[in-house]
Amino acid sequence: MSNPHKNEKNGDKNLPRWGMLIDLDRCVGCHTCEIACKFENDVPLGIWRSWVKEIEKGKQPNVVRSFRPTLCNHCDNPICVKVCPVHASWQREDGMVMIDPHLCVGCKYCMASCPYEVRYIHPQKGIIDKCDFCSTRVDAGLQPSCVEACPASARIFGNLNDPKSELAKLVATKPVSTLKPEMGTGPRVYYVSLDNATMEIKREAKLIWEK
Amino acid sequence: MGKVVFDVQYQTTLAFLISYYFYFTGLSAGSFMISTLSYGFGLEKFKPASKMGVVTAVLLLFLAPQFLLMQVCWPVKSLWHNFVHLNPISAISYGSFLLVLYPLNSIIYGIFMFKENKKWTKIFGLIGIPLALAVHGYTGWILAFGVARDYWNTGLMPIVFLFSAMVSGISMMILMIMIRDRFFTKEKVINHDLIDSLAKILGWLLLVDLFLVFCDYSVLLYSKLEAQEVAHFMLFGKMSFWFVIVENLIGKVIPMAIVMIPGMRKSYFWLILAALMNMAGILVMRVVTVYGGQALPLM
Ligand code: SF4
Ligand code: SF4
Repeated sequence: MSNPHKNEKNGDKNLPRWGMLIDLDRCVGCHTCEIACKFENDVPLGIWRSWVKEIEKGKQPNVVRSFRPTLCNHCDNPICVKVCPVHASWQREDGMVMIDPHLCVGCKYCMASCPYEVRYIHPQKGIIDKCDFCSTRVDAGLQPSCVEACPASARIFGNLNDPKSELAKLVATKPVSTLKPEMGTGPRVYYVSLDNATMEIKREAKLIWEK
Repeated sequence: MGKVVFDVQYQTTLAFLISYYFYFTGLSAGSFMISTLSYGFGLEKFKPASKMGVVTAVLLLFLAPQFLLMQVCWPVKSLWHNFVHLNPISAISYGSFLLVLYPLNSIIYGIFMFKENKKWTKIFGLIGIPLALAVHGYTGWILAFGVARDYWNTGLMPIVFLFSAMVSGISMMILMIMIRDRFFTKEKVINHDLIDSLAKILGWLLLVDLFLVFCDYSVLLYSKLEAQEVAHFMLFGKMSFWFVIVENLIGKVIPMAIVMIPGMRKSYFWLILAALMNMAGILVMRVVTVYGGQALPLM
């Protein structure tokens, strides 16, 4: 019955609560964050911890591309942590949602439950993997790799509990939105100027038995 | 509105193996229920099905979790992590206990039944009923707690799973009793009364099952966008052949018609056909629910 991760989120305001804001007015859709994440975290081919969904809308000559950089939202009420049968998905007291590779049995329940589809099976390790806000870098006082790499400074990472931090100020003063707030997960990745068209629900899918 | 230029696809990893697991636990729970009709509830006419029911239930319960273990990336680790690091609010955790308690109870129940000990058979049979309901109902909860997917996230899911378990279990029992009576008894005659009663129960359960599907889909179609899209995908999209034709028409409507029409029910040819179609339809239902329910990209 043991949960090895005693230090779960306890709402202590003196502790940091990490979050991120992505300003899509600044984003140029260069996919640098995607590549930086791949390098930093040694993400295998064919899967992504962080990626930029890119869509094109309109008719020539009025065409525009919209972007939706996607990563784990490090939710405040993470469904992936609730459903994990073995406490392998867990939340640090600073809000980061982590995966304990020693505990995970690879049942994939969390993958199917995450409303943002940001989890994947690591092909070599056979366990679940996803963005961890570059926790080792953050613990060492650095910024997550994608934030540091972004040439447009569209990503701002910081402590939501510190009202003086740039992130907290922006979240308080800008019109921000989160992905699927109706899921009740409380995402802590905020977007400015998010285009609804990047979140369209599709009616058809490629089935696994289709070539 | 927009054309997708680049996006990352979700890896749909829960597909066939987990569906087979759900299918075989369903068959097991269904045959267990049949076996309790006589010893648990005193319905004497079902007595000839009891021993077969309990043996099948136990054997299937050794088979079913094998698919679960094949599905999990670390099967051996999962055998003990699920107990040692148990998370009490995860639906999978309930299963770890149910998958131990239910076979144990079934074995004890079976032993007493073979020893013709009426009293203890009844007690363990009655304990077994909530366990059998739970062992199959919890698989519905697993899906229902996957809140991201509107197809799964409904309170009907555990009940739908229970009914599909019972109908497929009864169909399997009908076939097995016919084979046993015809080939493995001295008289070589099929116990017609028993088969007929089981077929009648099958018809009514199929009617309830279809009603549940109707309730589910009427709400999905009326509900928010994601629910509408998945209902559309099932009814008219790429999944429609499997959902409408195989699962519901071949798997439920036609078998129900056969067992509801007395003339056809009395014919062994039609009855065997109905049972086979129903078993196949429920297998497809598991795949449609597990895989189809998460086939559409969420964002
Ligand atoms: S985005 Fe998904 S994986 Fe990340 S914390 Fe939220 S529910 Fe969990
Ligand atoms: S795959 Fe791993 S992290 Fe996800 S629910 Fe299963 S055990 Fe937990």
